[in-house]
Amino acid sequence: MNVLILGGVGMLGPYVARHLAPHHNLRITDLTPPADPLPGEFVQVDVANRTQVLAAAEGMDAIINLSVLRHDRKLAFDVNTLGSYHVMEAAVAHGIRRVINTGPHFTLAGRSYEAFDYDLGPDIPPQPGTNLYALSKSLGQEICRVYTEHHDIFVQMYLFYNFRDPAEIEPGSRHAPFSISWENAAEVFSLGLAIPFEKLPSRCEVFNVFTDMPHGKFSNAKAKRVLGFQPKDDISELWKKTDTD
Amino acid sequence: MHILLTSAASPLAQMLAEQLATDHILRLTERQMMKAEHEFVLSDLGHDASTNLLVRGMDAIVHVDEMPAGADAGAQIDQATRCTYNLLLAAAAEGVKRVVYLSTLELMAAYDGDGYLHDTRWRPQPTTAPPTLTKYLGESTCKEFAREGKIAVSILRLAGDAKTESIVAAIIDALTGEHPVWHIVHIE
Repeated sequence: MNVLILGGVGMLGPYVARHLAPHHNLRITDLTPPADPLPGEFVQVDVANRTQVLAAAEGMDAIINLSVLRHDRKLAFDVNTLGSYHVMEAAVAHGIRRVINTGPHFTLAGRSYEAFDYDLGPDIPPQPGTNLYALSKSLGQEICRVYTEHHDIFVQMYLFYNFRDPAEIEPGSRHAPFSISWENAAEVFSLGLAIPFEKLPSRCEVFNVFTDMPHGKFSNAKAKRVLGFQPKDDISELWKKTDTD
Repeated sequence: MHILLTSAASPLAQMLAEQLATDHILRLTERQMMKAEHEFVLSDLGHDASTNLLVRGMDAIVHVDEMPAGADAGAQIDQATRCTYNLLLAAAAEGVKRVVYLSTLELMAAYDGDGYLHDTRWRPQPTTAPPTLTKYLGESTCKEFAREGKIAVSILRLAGDAKTESIVAAIIDALTGEHPVWHIVHIE
């Protein structure tokens, strides 16, 4: 499959690229080229530029949107909201039926959920709150959802919270009850590219992607049930009492 | 009451200004200079302190959120989301009591096609293009501020042929009546 990866040079991008490269033809894009070569073609693309996104999507079978911007108010809306609009316009223009969007957990579960509730799955009405990153991503995801109601496009939204290298986690350190290693996170993307459309419950599905955690705060059951996602990192020991506790 | 009216050059805002000015003190704002019979402040609703100054001293904001004809969809999305965010963030910080956001009844048009008698409790059904997509995103942005209790919001969804008098009456009711922090009205 020819796969366009937007925002493919930052953070999760290289892990996703290296995981997908043996099985797919990749066109990796970002504002700047990678410091170390990544497997696949690199094209310089600003996701806030509609013309560039449309051009990059030509000849592609799927789009993975890893682009993200958190703190600058103008850029956050350009990348997280407008960028999603450009992704969906590109999907429509090129007949691309498979889109994987990504975002933080509070794209859906903002403070009004997280501060109060447990077993938070991904099938909840979005309540991102006014946090800039959460709201701009949530609006971007809403754009994707609206497009799936009017076009034959299937959008999977993967939500992440913390990325942690298990080897660097120390007992007693604080971690979000929604964590995953970079390598394990990358694996979900090959599942998302492989799943037949008829196996997705609808044209717009959201998944919480994290390793199994004992807290009961969030649920990753849907990612395991629908995508066949297999959490790889057992970090439950971090929260076990020791003889000295 | 001191009321800020955005998108002041739009035909709708001009009609509203004429009627609201009889009983209220208006401050108009627009992205480009314009002739105005009321106080006018040039603003692109950016995320700097000028937006705080724009809303300071206002009791309420009527956010018309219109762009000049021919504005591309990206610019409209930017105004409906980022500019609305900047406006409400400043408004909350400056103690503005309520924002009235002018939306569109086109958001409910899909139900009309099915012959339903819908009301404000029904889910909006945006399409993928302005104005419904952009007004839906504007509503969604406002909703999060209301949800967090940062500012009270009234959404007025207007039919295309809604009378100015009806819109003004709904605005005044939104600003003076007892309404919840998140409040939706359909103006046929």
